[in-house]
Amino acid sequence: MMSSEFNKYQQLRRRSLILGVSKSLFTFLVCGKLYYLQILNKSKYGKLSDLNRTKVKILYPERGKIFDLYNKPIASNRLDFQLNIFREKKKLIKKYISTLANVISFSQRDLEDLEKNIAQKNLSDFIVIKKNLTWKELEVFELISNKFPFLFITKEKVRNYDNNQIFSHVLGYVGYKQDVEEEKLNNLKFGIAGIEKIFDTTLLGSDGWIKLETNSKGKIKKEINKKLAIPGKNIRTNLITDIQEKAFNLLSGISGAAVMMDCETGGVNCMVSTPSFDNNEFSNGVTNERWKQLIEDEKDPLLNRCIAGLYSPGSTYKILTALYALEIIGFDHNKIYFCPGFVEFGNRKFHCWKKNGHGNVNLFDAIKKSCDCYFYNLAKEVDIDSLSRFSKKFSLGMFTGIDIPNEHIGIMPDKKWKLKNRGEKWQGGETLNTVIGQGFTLSTPLQITLMTGRVATGKNIKPSILKTKNIFFEDLPFSDKNLDFIRRSMYSVVNDYDGTANSSKLRNQYKMAGKTGTSQVRRISKEERESGVLKNEELQYKLRDHSIFTCYAPYDKPKFALTVIAEHMGSGSKVAAPIAKNIMELALKKFI
Amino acid sequence: MNEIFFRFKNLYWFFIALVFFLSFVGFVMIYSATSGMEYDILSSHILKISFGFSLMLLVGVINIDFWKKNAFYFYVFCLLLLIWASLFGYIGKGSRRWINLHGFFFQPSELMKIVIILALAKFFDEKKIKEKKDYFFLILPITMAVIPFVLILSQPDLGTASIFLFVCFVVFFLAGLSWKFFMSLGFLFLIIAPYLWNSLKNYQKQRILTLFNPENDPLGSGYHIIQSQIAIGSGGTLGKGWMKGTQSHLDFLPEKHTDFIFSMLGEEFGFLGTISVIGLIALITYLTYQISNHFTHDNFSRMLGFGVISNFFFASLINMSMVIGILPVVGLPLPLVSYGGSSMLSYFIGFGLILSLQRHSKLRL
Repeated sequence: MMSSEFNKYQQLRRRSLILGVSKSLFTFLVCGKLYYLQILNKSKYGKLSDLNRTKVKILYPERGKIFDLYNKPIASNRLDFQLNIFREKKKLIKKYISTLANVISFSQRDLEDLEKNIAQKNLSDFIVIKKNLTWKELEVFELISNKFPFLFITKEKVRNYDNNQIFSHVLGYVGYKQDVEEEKLNNLKFGIAGIEKIFDTTLLGSDGWIKLETNSKGKIKKEINKKLAIPGKNIRTNLITDIQEKAFNLLSGISGAAVMMDCETGGVNCMVSTPSFDNNEFSNGVTNERWKQLIEDEKDPLLNRCIAGLYSPGSTYKILTALYALEIIGFDHNKIYFCPGFVEFGNRKFHCWKKNGHGNVNLFDAIKKSCDCYFYNLAKEVDIDSLSRFSKKFSLGMFTGIDIPNEHIGIMPDKKWKLKNRGEKWQGGETLNTVIGQGFTLSTPLQITLMTGRVATGKNIKPSILKTKNIFFEDLPFSDKNLDFIRRSMYSVVNDYDGTANSSKLRNQYKMAGKTGTSQVRRISKEERESGVLKNEELQYKLRDHSIFTCYAPYDKPKFALTVIAEHMGSGSKVAAPIAKNIMELALKKFI
Repeated sequence: MNEIFFRFKNLYWFFIALVFFLSFVGFVMIYSATSGMEYDILSSHILKISFGFSLMLLVGVINIDFWKKNAFYFYVFCLLLLIWASLFGYIGKGSRRWINLHGFFFQPSELMKIVIILALAKFFDEKKIKEKKDYFFLILPITMAVIPFVLILSQPDLGTASIFLFVCFVVFFLAGLSWKFFMSLGFLFLIIAPYLWNSLKNYQKQRILTLFNPENDPLGSGYHIIQSQIAIGSGGTLGKGWMKGTQSHLDFLPEKHTDFIFSMLGEEFGFLGTISVIGLIALITYLTYQISNHFTHDNFSRMLGFGVISNFFFASLINMSMVIGILPVVGLPLPLVSYGGSSMLSYFIGFGLILSLQRHSKLRL
């Protein structure tokens, strides 16, 4: 009995020992796991906990503003409200997008962009669900936002053009690039055309980032640290908003272009091409349908006619032919030719624009009245290669070097060019067409403006959109006497009662010099000539002549050189010259 | 009156200090969990600690003979409470297990964990070894254990039920039941395991499966374990500092003031903090062993001491194992540290019994 009782105590002792040992083992197991978690894997779990709470947002720089010559903003930025979600919650998008669609309208394009954004793996933990939220959408979202704690609104600065349409061609627009090297910049808009493209590096600035702390529901608690984005630099251009607007309005309903240049600085004060497009629409992301519509438009609204529209210079080219004759051939300007309305060359008849002819004319009158026959006769002394070289000094057939992209070089033909491009030898009759600015010659309105500017100043001026300092232009190697002769004849075109542009003389104290031109689109056949040349209005639109006028003012101290082209609007004096007059009057009144 | 004062003075104050320190750790963590902002939680916790402390001292001042003599009455009383709670109790957290005492919610199941130890210890103390090998004789103690277990399980409260069962096993084991008994129980368990598995609720099954592969469903039931491990692991050696835990304060950690309070401790005080708390628990357990081992010829007292401290120790370490991913998450608070009333009260009563034992052991010597 005693031993049994003793055993009972012994047994409890033994059992309690076993229990104690198992407790110790359990303790070691727990401590071991804690050691594994807290000592061995500290950095792993530390990173995981940071990933949990921190969200990185790429800060996009505010794009630099673009100002006109008088510091009026022509490209600035507006606040854009955007709906965002954290990348880790992206699974929720599909679930709630239909609910959200009741409040916020999603276009097909928005949904495509969203798909792209979700698929992208960039540094940012933010996915943009919808950009360009309207005030109404914001208000309604505010009401239901507590149902969607994982969604939030961010504010971004996006490009906005105060005068959309008017500056579209020269400013260009911004948009996404397809092949950005740094993936994180996928959501950044770059300059795609115009000034925006050429000065993109200046305007762009550099990006930054911000690290935010959020709780498990994705609510932002505080910011941890950040590197601010550096905004792009502002740039100042030579453009003048008032003139640009005026020119745009005057050209409304017309396909055409107006280029105005400051003769002292080469600064381009006005560069309008019509019809235009909405560069705000482009910057926000133009729809495919709209893009197709613009591309297929016969009037080609996307073309910047000022630098890429090609036109025969027409009679405006006569000022160069005349200067060439005086300078290179040593032609006597008092020489008189009789104009019967046509000149025979070889077996062909070359007609003057005035059917009954101008009678006896000298060089001065030939320019003033734009007599074709005089120049046909003069052409007999012209070597085309030499004339071509000469014309290139006035930028015809040459790049002007303007600081916006996609400039067209045009054509200033010579014998080599003919052989190479047409596979034929140069014909003598082609020189006759060339000296009156028809034939193969093609030029842009900017080139014609530059020609006028160089004639007006006698300096080798160069165009620029960007406002620059310390401008110096060399003198052209031509005599003042000959240049002056041309200038005087251009003066008479506008100011003499029998000048072709007499109806467009200025109604203020300034005098303007200029030259009209008609750029032929078709060749007038012999039969038509005999039955009477059709009036422009009687022709099909596409076959009508372009109306050209180039000019500068004031006559005695050239400040502005201007060229206006109105496509298919007939002779230069009818449409282009009055528009140029109105633009010039405004420029002289306000900006001299 | 003098007698009472004498008893009070003779209490094991070092032990009481350790218990107090552990509750203080709990207060500090709950303060951090609520960012010191939720005064009703903090004041309610202080109130419960004070009440529990008083209860512990009261139980400690009463002689152990009283508890031994009335053990079965307590058991019956507690069983009645449990039945009442299961039938008419207040429903909270999806199970009917609370009794509402004028706004103070109380779980009889928690009290049962202490009372069953008391009752079984008394039962086995009077039996001889030979009797314990008689299977027929074992029907009574097994019934004593199974009835409350089934009641608790049916509330349903899987966490408390399993820890209750575990405590019963510990007492059975200490009582010296033969290895064959446990082996046949294990065999029985294997047979009914599939049926048990099927009777589990889906979320309970999920929790067990998640243990083996938490990454399987990182946003579902595995989320809690992953976030808890991240919290503890990111604490490192010294922790992120009090009130500075990002996992806990930014709500990545679930139930941070109750079941997952240990994770928060690990995050804010690091390895040093977790090891210290384990050390404290180990020290309290060790001291209780010392006390119990005094009773070389009193199996009731020894069994009571071992049983009560095993309840505390295993509840603590199972909670820790849960939050570090060794055991499935079953809804079990960390004794004295977690926020929660009835479980804390039952642990304080347990410590009161230990204090009473300690006073008794000194008298004998």
